[in-house]
Amino acid sequence: MVKPRLRLSPRGRRILLITLCALALLYVASLSYIWWAMHEPPEQFGKVMSRMPGPVPFLLFPFETLWLRARAGHLNVGDAAPDFNLAKLDKTAHIQLSALNQQQPVALVFGSYT
Amino acid sequence: MPALNKLYEQYKDRVQFLVVYITEAHPSDVWQMESNVRDHVVFASPKTEEERAFVAGACVRKLGIKIPAVLDEFGNSTELAYTGWPDRMYLIDSQGRIAYKSKPGPFGFKPAELETALARVAGTRSTSLMSGRRMSVMIP
Repeated sequence: MVKPRLRLSPRGRRILLITLCALALLYVASLSYIWWAMHEPPEQFGKVMSRMPGPVPFLLFPFETLWLRARAGHLNVGDAAPDFNLAKLDKTAHIQLSALNQQQPVALVFGSYT
Repeated sequence: MPALNKLYEQYKDRVQFLVVYITEAHPSDVWQMESNVRDHVVFASPKTEEERAFVAGACVRKLGIKIPAVLDEFGNSTELAYTGWPDRMYLIDSQGRIAYKSKPGPFGFKPAELETALARVAGTRSTSLMSGRRMSVMIP
């Protein structure tokens, strides 16, 4: 039995090495770009993601891990909840969190339609 | 959303619930999602406070959200303070301190976790919510 063995000339080996280095660099650069975009405001992040080729960033990179870290936020359990005073959707009144929170706990759900 | 409506029905006499409507996650002019096109949920980014209120109103009606909702102002100050985008949940105890903070959505948006926190803060009487369904229409 003859073992199949890949024989590369010194030149071939150099090309292979350069290609691998270039791919690694490209990977790190793309990863950094996505990481940067995740820290940008939603519109900017959305623009970056809309230019990505389909599901590639989700398959190629640890997208979820990056996302959970990038958008961890600076509030922690035990911190005082930042107050706000916002208009109700039906415009009938404003709701102030601290006033709402005086008697009972408050569950906040952030979200949008799309 | 059905999971959250259920929690709301279950706890509304002991806990105040509030939806904070924030920046659209996948507006048609920025990052359109196929799933949203299929569901006919296609909105461009609201350019004014009125447009934002309009999309938010459509959101609450179409998704059948029973929880009272407020509109984040156009500078997104509340979203920024809470890192709420694209979606996230908090529970604030009656001392005004954060008792539960979900991980950022869509991956971290788990109503079952909120249910556990609600049971802890507002007492039991909780029926299990094993499915842990996400607000699949609201998030990617």
